[in-house]
Amino acid sequence: MEKDVFDYSKYTDSVHRLGRIGLSIGVIMLLSAPFLFAYFLDAKINWSGFAGAIWSVLIVYVPSCIVEYLIYVPLLGPGASYLSFITGNITNLKLPCAANAREIAEAEVGSKENEIISTLSVATSSLVTMLVIFIGVLLLIPLTPVLESPVLRPAFDNVLPALFGALGYQYFRKSLKLTVFPLSFMVLICIIVPSLMSQTSIMIIACGAISIGLSWIFWKKHILR
Amino acid sequence: MSYIEAANSLPLYLTVGVILLFIAALCVLFIIKSYRAGVRIGMDRKVLRRAITSSATFTVLPSVSILLGVIALSGSLGIPASWLRLSVIGNLQYEATVAEIAANSMGLSLNATELTVSALSTILLVMTVGIIWGCLLSIFTMKKYSAKLAIGKKSGSGSGGYASWAMVAMMIGLCSTFVGSYIAEAFVTINLVPVITVIIASAFMAFFELLSRKYKVFENFSLALSMLIAMIGAVAVSMVI
Repeated sequence: MEKDVFDYSKYTDSVHRLGRIGLSIGVIMLLSAPFLFAYFLDAKINWSGFAGAIWSVLIVYVPSCIVEYLIYVPLLGPGASYLSFITGNITNLKLPCAANAREIAEAEVGSKENEIISTLSVATSSLVTMLVIFIGVLLLIPLTPVLESPVLRPAFDNVLPALFGALGYQYFRKSLKLTVFPLSFMVLICIIVPSLMSQTSIMIIACGAISIGLSWIFWKKHILR
Repeated sequence: MSYIEAANSLPLYLTVGVILLFIAALCVLFIIKSYRAGVRIGMDRKVLRRAITSSATFTVLPSVSILLGVIALSGSLGIPASWLRLSVIGNLQYEATVAEIAANSMGLSLNATELTVSALSTILLVMTVGIIWGCLLSIFTMKKYSAKLAIGKKSGSGSGGYASWAMVAMMIGLCSTFVGSYIAEAFVTINLVPVITVIIASAFMAFFELLSRKYKVFENFSLALSMLIAMIGAVAVSMVI
């Protein structure tokens, strides 16, 4: 009987309240850090250096922040999105992690279940990342030679191929007809313009747009089932 | 006190520790809140726990990779600044690029022999202001934006509706970007290790998926295990090639 009286909209409101308050405090703390560093080190912020750098950074990263925001919120839902934007590593960790949890839970995008699973997944992932880095920082001196050893180096240089190989198998087989277009596009454009191989953050937008655009057409034509 | 000693001093560790503790507490609050809501709408506790377990195992290996980023940046920015920047917002590619831009704008390079404590604080401010916009958009527009998208208005599971296909399409686009770049890399630079790593990870993912039909326990660990085997494969392939 308990679930019958549960008001989901109240839960959503409380997620927004917690997200807004939490992120506001988090942003203030993060912005204070450089000033606290300067205070403790008896240093001053170099404002002319800051002004010189910030414009070139903003021109590149503000548009990509806006596009990421518009794309990721519908996929993750608000709870997971609040956490993803404050904890970072969205493309290479939080989004695949939430997608994997969603697959296991068989939750539909946009549903209450998906929102809850995504929030649990991103929150857990963020905690584990913080914990691993914390342990790593504690053990930095003994760990550094091991992690940076030439023998193990290829393992850590290839985390993303390992991640997207495994994840690719899961998603490509859902629709090979859809996969062939963004994948061929990416291969061809990178062979023609090799510098784009390292511009994955920009190319995600292009491949994502091709894939979503085609999926809509395929869906309308009943090619996707 | 030398620059690197100052950049690794105790007050900086404490500052970073307090900030990260706050964000960790925020994550815990979200876990409690969403877990309780999941139970209240009738979701199976096992499914909720499985989401937590699979996400935790999934995250370990990429986190070690992020830790390598901390090690890489700590040589120039010190451990506390690198620890903060790679634990919250951002990612290594962004942090390294922006730190370099900020250092260059002060006529320096990202090198501990050239940097000063003033430059360190300035670099950290540029890195933070440059990436804070996703958070600000979330604070000011998330409620309206998600209401417009009607997220969480429906209930259900399975694969019905275009929304699920949109998610699949986005993930196909995301995977195509990375896998496509590794295939192109094999042609352009004859570096075969990434593409072989992709093939090993895919093959083992297929194997573990088959196995998980019989042994449910593999469902939570198939991705992490496939990644681990593929990374070991990358080491072996690098030795041979």
